[in-house]
Order: sequence, then structure tokens, then C-alpha cells
Amino acid sequence: MSHSTVPRSRAEAKTGGRTPGADAPGGSAGKAAARRAARRAGRRTGRLDLRLRFRRDRTLILMTLPAVALILVFTYIPVLGNVVAFQDYDPYLSDNGFVAMLQSPWVGFENFQRIFEDSAFWHAVQNTFVLFFLQLVLYFPIPILLALLINSVVRPRVRAVAQAIMYLPHFFSWVLVVTVFQQIFGGAGIIAQTLRQHGHKGIDLMTDPGIFKFLVTAEGVWKDAGWGIIVFLAALSSVSNDLYEAAAMDGAGRWRRMWHVTLPALRPVIALLLVLRVGDALTVGFEQLLLQRDSVGPGASEVLDTYVWWNGIRNQDFGYAAAAGLVKGVVGLGLVLTANKVAHLMGEQGVYKK
Amino acid sequence: MTPNSATSAPSRRSFLASTAVAAAAVAGGMPLLTACGGQDGNKEGTTSGKDAQKILPAFVASSVVTPDIPAKNGSAAGFTQAIALDGLKSSVPKKLGSGGKLKVMAPLWGTPPSNGNAYYKAMNEAVGVDVTWQNQDGNTYDEKLGAVLASSDIPDVVVVPGWNLMGKIPSAVNAKFADLGPYLSGDKVKDYPNLAAVPTDAWQRAIFGGKLRAIPMPASYVNNIAPFYRKDLFAKKGYQLPKSADEFLSWAKDATSAKAKVWACDDLKWTAFNMFGVLSGSDKALWWNLDGGKLINRIETDEYLEALEWTRKLYAAGVVHPDAKAVKGDASNRFGAGQVLVFNGDLSYWYGKTAEQRTQNADFEMAAFDIFGHDGGDPALWAVQPANIFTFVNKKASEQQIKDFLALANFCAAPFGTKERMLTDYGVEGADFELKKGLPTKTTQGTNEVNGAYDYTGDPAAYLAHPDLPEIARLQVEWQQRMGAFTKKSSFYGLTVTEPNRWTNLANDFEQLEDDIVRGRKKIADMQQAVSDWKQKGGDGLRAWYKKLLDDNGSAAK
Repeated sequence: MSHSTVPRSRAEAKTGGRTPGADAPGGSAGKAAARRAARRAGRRTGRLDLRLRFRRDRTLILMTLPAVALILVFTYIPVLGNVVAFQDYDPYLSDNGFVAMLQSPWVGFENFQRIFEDSAFWHAVQNTFVLFFLQLVLYFPIPILLALLINSVVRPRVRAVAQAIMYLPHFFSWVLVVTVFQQIFGGAGIIAQTLRQHGHKGIDLMTDPGIFKFLVTAEGVWKDAGWGIIVFLAALSSVSNDLYEAAAMDGAGRWRRMWHVTLPALRPVIALLLVLRVGDALTVGFEQLLLQRDSVGPGASEVLDTYVWWNGIRNQDFGYAAAAGLVKGVVGLGLVLTANKVAHLMGEQGVYKK
Repeated sequence: MTPNSATSAPSRRSFLASTAVAAAAVAGGMPLLTACGGQDGNKEGTTSGKDAQKILPAFVASSVVTPDIPAKNGSAAGFTQAIALDGLKSSVPKKLGSGGKLKVMAPLWGTPPSNGNAYYKAMNEAVGVDVTWQNQDGNTYDEKLGAVLASSDIPDVVVVPGWNLMGKIPSAVNAKFADLGPYLSGDKVKDYPNLAAVPTDAWQRAIFGGKLRAIPMPASYVNNIAPFYRKDLFAKKGYQLPKSADEFLSWAKDATSAKAKVWACDDLKWTAFNMFGVLSGSDKALWWNLDGGKLINRIETDEYLEALEWTRKLYAAGVVHPDAKAVKGDASNRFGAGQVLVFNGDLSYWYGKTAEQRTQNADFEMAAFDIFGHDGGDPALWAVQPANIFTFVNKKASEQQIKDFLALANFCAAPFGTKERMLTDYGVEGADFELKKGLPTKTTQGTNEVNGAYDYTGDPAAYLAHPDLPEIARLQVEWQQRMGAFTKKSSFYGLTVTEPNRWTNLANDFEQLEDDIVRGRKKIADMQQAVSDWKQKGGDGLRAWYKKLLDDNGSAAK
């Protein structure tokens, strides 16, 4: 309790101290005082003159401007480009992409109709969801477990080394990760050759479409699980030791302390990340999958993102690819809203609150 | 794996080309499908016959050095004797460039040297044009190309490989690039003697949307995918070369020893197509051939299915290297390391790989075996296009810039045995190359600087010359001539065809399906289904369209 009250009182002391100084010069003191009074009154009633609010927050607003500009240029303006989903878009009609957009013929919902009639699209949707659920079940819990594990290590040196080793693969590019896996699990990889040396049959895990989804998940775990623990470790470090001590005093063992202290402390973070993950459900690793597309064929590896890439970039069917991307966006939005709702129902904050 | 997407290889760029193919192979399926699509109705189709005669440049043969092996059966010309530096002639007596500036965007396989290096400086000085290179990674060139052409900032000169002419790129070519006809058609080309010596076949390919828009890179029309074998290892093991498809399969089973990390072959799909006499799979127009009054597409033929089935057997028998099954790594490296005994790739590998391997392994010996008919008889081979890399000029370029570009192209198209050729291929003496035993040998600086930039901006008729390994140039040309004797030209040989937009993507997924089938992930029946879908979705429409084209224009083949 005392923790949170201290800064507040200090802040009050500061403003209180500054007020007399500001009042001192000139005859405008009365006006200023009146304005301040009005401001205080406004704050009390919950309304505040926009201009005043702007003046008050001027510095903060200025600081956000670069970020707003970036979002505007790289997110909101490109959103307008989605109109090509309703066109037979040909970017070469004009020297300017936007002019080309104006000149391209409108085709209404034809692109969408083609998408929904394309079995390859539905196949990509299916693959995407299968991969998403598999990663949710097999991949999502792993960083939590690792964070708990690292948190339980007492010696800081061991802890630092373990953490560094787990982080490291995150900085490898996918090309490297896939190559490493190929060298180990491929048909001419270390494992297959060792087996052959000892008179067994070799294995080839890299070209089997049946187990491809597990392979992809395993690569993801190896590459990024260590990185994923950062957030959880931060959440863990905010758990007060008092709680553990109190629980221990009450006779709680290791497991009970984890169940009743650690996990409840992590719950908001887990819920938040879960909602975010669901929002990203349809994005299951574009580069990783594209790199292995030829190894197992599009049947096992085609997901929505690679489908869009194949049609948009390789086949230059821009309108069609934009339509597919739009469908993906709409479904993703629905998933986020649903997941957030579920989080609210569970009593968590989720990503946003009404 | 699309080995035939590379250039078919005049000697000087053989190393480049071999890395290009290798890189393409690593990228895994640079699609061959050279789809086309004119935006305007009148730009669809092709130009041949009388219409073409009006715009094609005149041909004036140039003979600076007589080739030791003259071209025959569509082969390149072969030069097996090195020419002393002081014996070099000049084909560009007067500097044609005006000293203007040109920005050139081109694919490059390898690390681009920095602009302003000794070689570029010497070239620019000799041509009289200040060229600035924008070299892009050749493997992902198509992705960049699409974006650059859609922007308002197109470089003055743009190189476009034929295999990148997919989707809407052909319509972009027609919309964004200048007509070179006013500078080159008919006798006008004589201002540029080296360009006048470029074969008419190659120029015919440079007609896009009814206009002469490009400088082509001439190539031999003999199929460029050669099946290579490790001659040294074959001799060591006492293997005989197989003579039929069945013999090959049984030899392969015998020669594979996975335990010792030796597999008989890499992916041989393209060689299988050749063995079974399948219509060429490179340029899309070559997929069609008139057979008994009806146009047939390669994917409709029995030979196509038989070739896939035979390749599938290779994979199923476990004689193909597992990394080839996974489409990972570089086939030619596995071949060099002796992990596979047979692989197929561009003919230029013969020189590139030998030169590379000899530095580490003096006994290394490779050769291309003659493609046999699947039943052991003569093969039925189909011609590939006589030019498949094109260089265009921005429509907005000034007249002076176009003339400067043509000066550059004329310089780079200098024939073997000239000072211009020597400078283009080897750079500056003392810096980029030095003489060893009378033979020019690139220095490290030369290897870094002279690595392909000026390879696409103008080229002479196809030739092969390797001063350091003259024997290989001879073997390559002789292989081409033997294979050329079995080579026929299909109905649309030599023509650049722009398909209507609505059908350009129709056949794009076939290559994937082929790869799925040979690797056992899909069945031959899936291909039959795909072909019948293809017919229904527009294949038959496309057939009628091509038939009309043929009836209206006639074919270019002589």
C-alpha cells in the first residue's frame, strides 16, 4: 500500500510548490488562477477544453507524431490499396500505381467468387488452421514451462548461460534453421547416415508430407521458444517474494506455490498473449513454409500467406491475391474479437476493454 | 528444379551461367512458364512472316576469326585455339558512345562489384558511355522486376530473362519499353556492325507486341539440358554407360550405395522429358505442336506421362539423392563431391564445374552423355528458343540515350578474337587478368569484377570458347551437333508469343504437380485430372487461339 501512495503525494507536492511562483509575475495572475480553477473544475466533472488538453499534453503528442506518421504511411494508406480486390488490377497501366488503380476495370466480387471456388484456397485454409491449432497446443505452453524452469534456477551464472543458449536460435534466419534441420534429419543427414552405418534403414523426416506439420512446429519451438520466455520471465520477476514466503509459512510445498502463486500471477500475461496469438492465427510462418514448399509440395505446405504470395507475386494476379488477403484479414479480425470476448468472460483484461 | 532456365551458354559466361542455373536450382523452381499477356487486344499474339520482315534488322555476317568448329545443326560455333593478345582485331574502330549516362538494371548471380571499379571504368571508357549498374539477385529477380516496372522510376535499361516473362510482365514490357525499330530495322542496323551480325532468329524473338523492343542474347537452339556423368568415377568402378531407360534404372540401383553416401543420380526430370521425346518445356509457346492438323500441348501427350512415371520410379527406387528429393542444396555441388554420379544441368556446367574441380582434384573428369531414346533408339528432341534473355530501353529514354545503349550493345556483341570481346570477358590486363603460359587467367580482382555485368547488354551469335580448357569447348560443340541432328522445331519455334491475359496463369501449377508426382506425393491420375481441368478452364480455348495464330501468321521455322 505505502508503495503506491508515495509517488502520488510527491507529485502533488511539486505542483503545489510551483503554483505560487507562476502566480507571482504580472497582473494576469488573477486570470491564470481563474483558468486553473476552471481547469480543476473541468477535471472534476470529467470534461476538459480540447485546446487546454492539447496544451497540457503537447510534448507527449509531439513525441507520438513519428510513430503516427509511420502507421499512417505503412498501415493506413496501404489499406486503401485493398480496392484492387474488386478490380482486375494491372499495375502497368500507368507509371503511377494509384493511377493504375483508377484505370483498372472493376470486376465486383469476381475475385472473391474465384477464391471460394478454388479448392486450393480451401486447402490452404485447412492447412493454416491445422498448423495453428497444432502450434497452439504444442508450442504455446513451452515458453511458459521454460520460464518456470529458468526462474527456479538459483545460480545466476547458470541461469544466464541457459538463457543465452535458448535465445540464440532466435537470431538465426529461417534459411539457416531449415538447412540445419535438413543436415540432421534429412535423407542424407547425420541421423540417417549414422543409422545406415549401423546397418539400419535411413530416415528422411524432411520430405514426408504426413509429418510436415510436426516438423514445422518443431522448427518453430527450436528457433523461438527461448525468445518467447522473455515476457514470462518479466511477469515472474514482478511476483513479490512476500507471497512465496507467506505461502511457505502456511505450509505450501513447491507445487502448491506454483499452482497458487506463480500461475495466477502469469494468468493475465498468458491471456493477453493467447489473444494476440489467436489474432495472428492465420499467419503461421510464411518464410519458413515457403522455404520448405518444394520439399513436401504445396499439398502439405500451402497456407494462406504462401497462397497469396504464389498468386500475387509469382502469378501477378494482384486483384485475386488482394481478395484472398482481405478474406484472411476479416477472418483474423473475427478471431481476435472472439478470443478477446472469451478473455473477458474469464475475467481477464485481454487486448482492449470497452 | 528448372535447369533450362539458364542461358545456353556461350563460353565466356559459362561460369556465370552455371552458377545461375545452380542458383535457380537452389531457389527451387524458378518457373519456366513464360506466360504472356497483352493488355491491349492488338498486342496479344505474335509477329512473323511479312510483318516481321518489315522490322527485323538486316543480317551482315562478320568474320573476324574463323571458328575452329563451325556451327552446325543449331550448335554454337567452337573456338579451340587461344588468340594471342597482340593478334586481337578491332570490331569497333570508332567509339560510338556520346559520353552520356545510363542506368542499367540487370540480374546478377553472385556478389555485384562496386560501381567504379577498374573493369567497369575501362569498359565505360572504351564504350564511351557512363554506365551505372543496378544489379539485383538473379534468383529473386522476378519479384523485383514486377515492382520496378510498376513504379514511376524505371531505369534507362532493363534486362529481362525470358523465364521472368510471366503473368503481367509481358504487358508491362509492351507498355514501358521503347521501340528500337527506328534505330535497327532493316539497313539501319549497319551503323552497329556487331549487332548486324546477330542472327535473324534471335532478333525475331525480340519482337514484343509488334515492335522490335529488345536486344536479344543469341543462343543455340539445341536443348541445353545435358545429362552429365562422372567419367572418372565411372572408369574407376568399371561402369558402362546405360543405353536405354530400363538400363539406366538397373544401373542406378546397382550404383547407389546410400551407406557410402553415394547415389546414382540427382533429379533427372528434364532429362527424362528429353529421353521420352516430350515437347520442350521452356518457352510456353513451345509447349504446342501441330500434329495431324491439331495442336497438341506437351502436357496432353503420353510421352509426358511416361517420362514422369520413369522419373517417379527413380525416386521410388531410392537412387536419387535425398537432398534432391527435398529440393535443397545444389545438385552440381553434390556431383562435384561425388555424392551423385549423374546430374543434369545447363551445358555450361561442363566447363564451369571442370575448371572449378580441377583446382582441387586433378583427376576430376566429367562429360555429358548423349541423350538416348527411352527404348534405346534415337532420341526425339525439340528445339529451344534461339534467344531467351532480352535487354530493353525505357520508353522515356531520349534519342541520345537509346543511341548510347546501342553503342554499349554493339561493343558487348563483339565476336571472339576482338579486343572488345577480350576486354568484356577478361577486364584489364594486369589488374583483372594476367598471362600464364600465354593464356589469359583471371586474378582474384578479375574474378570479383568481371562476373557477368556486361553479359546481357548485347551478345554475338552463340559460340563456345575456353582458352584454358579448349578440349571442353570442342566436346560441348560436338555434343550440341550430335544432339542437334535429332532436334526438330515445333510449330511456334522462334516466335515470341503474348498469350491473352485471361489464360496466362492457366498452366502455372503444372511444374509443381510434376515435382509432386515424381516424388511420389501425387499420382499420375492427378496429372490426368489436372490436364482435363486445364482443357476445361481454357486449355481448349488457348488451343483455338494458338491455331488461329498459326493459320494467320505461319510458323517461323524454316
